[in-house]
Amino acid sequence: MFPKIKLALAFVLLTVAFGSQLRVSAQESTKSDNKAKTLATGTFHGKVHQTSGRATIYQQADGKLVLRLTNFKTSNGPDVHVILVAAKDADDDANFLKSDTARTELGKLKGNEGDQNYEIPAGTDLAKFQTVSIYCERFNANFGAAPLEKF
Amino acid sequence: MSDSVDSRLSGKKWILIGIGVLVLVAVWWAFRPEKLWVNVKVNEPAPSGASADLQPLYTGLMIGRAHPTSGRASIYQTLDGKRDLRLTDFMTSNGPDVHVLLAQSTDENLKKDFVKHELNSVELGGLKANQGDQTYDLPDSADLSKYDAVVVYCERFHVVFGLAKLEKF
Repeated sequence: MFPKIKLALAFVLLTVAFGSQLRVSAQESTKSDNKAKTLATGTFHGKVHQTSGRATIYQQADGKLVLRLTNFKTSNGPDVHVILVAAKDADDDANFLKSDTARTELGKLKGNEGDQNYEIPAGTDLAKFQTVSIYCERFNANFGAAPLEKF
Repeated sequence: MSDSVDSRLSGKKWILIGIGVLVLVAVWWAFRPEKLWVNVKVNEPAPSGASADLQPLYTGLMIGRAHPTSGRASIYQTLDGKRDLRLTDFMTSNGPDVHVLLAQSTDENLKKDFVKHELNSVELGGLKANQGDQTYDLPDSADLSKYDAVVVYCERFHVVFGLAKLEKF
């Protein structure tokens, strides 16, 4: 009887000491409510065409989704577009035409350097389109890709 | 006779030159090689309100080490210049004497068990909770160009629960 109680006591003490079975949950909010909400973000990778920078998706107060590229740099090229692809990520040699990966066109790349915004068509499912690609349509070349993660 | 041969030759020559020019134009149009040297720069402002009073400076995803750890670590700057570390969608295992530190991602100590004073780090405080969104004040002196990693560290057992490498937002 006594050994059992001792054992139980020891277990309780251990649990308290290590606290490993207890879950503490916090839910602090950001100090201010931004008008535009940051939904997802990720960084570009691309070696063949040296692409770098960050891609972030914002939701504006009116509900519209906007893709914003910051610290962005890629090589210039002909017929370069910004697209969302239904994939977790994309390699340098990804050819979205051949692989018939679902894509959403966001428009022509406005500049190969600098901060820029692109409207995302209403109804685009961000759970499906998880990667931003800088895509040269003329040569079906993926200049760079940014896999997005929840912000 | 020889005149007509000459004129035929020169006619052929002109056709060849014409074709050559067309090919050159086509090749130029396809490759636009001058774009290798011509940059197009843009500088659009952020979507309205995105940079209101909380500006994200750095962000990164948590990766588990000794214990499964996930979520996002971001550093924000408020309008008055104060900086906060914010953990979102955060989850790690609970444990005794767990602290949040800023460290250098290249620090060799992070690859093994270490005693805290061996690590070149900035203490941000005890971990408030092992789950959920939480905010930590950053000391004004913390140099974020130097400390580019957020480390969740158990002081009692000298182990890294998880860490996030910060990248410029």
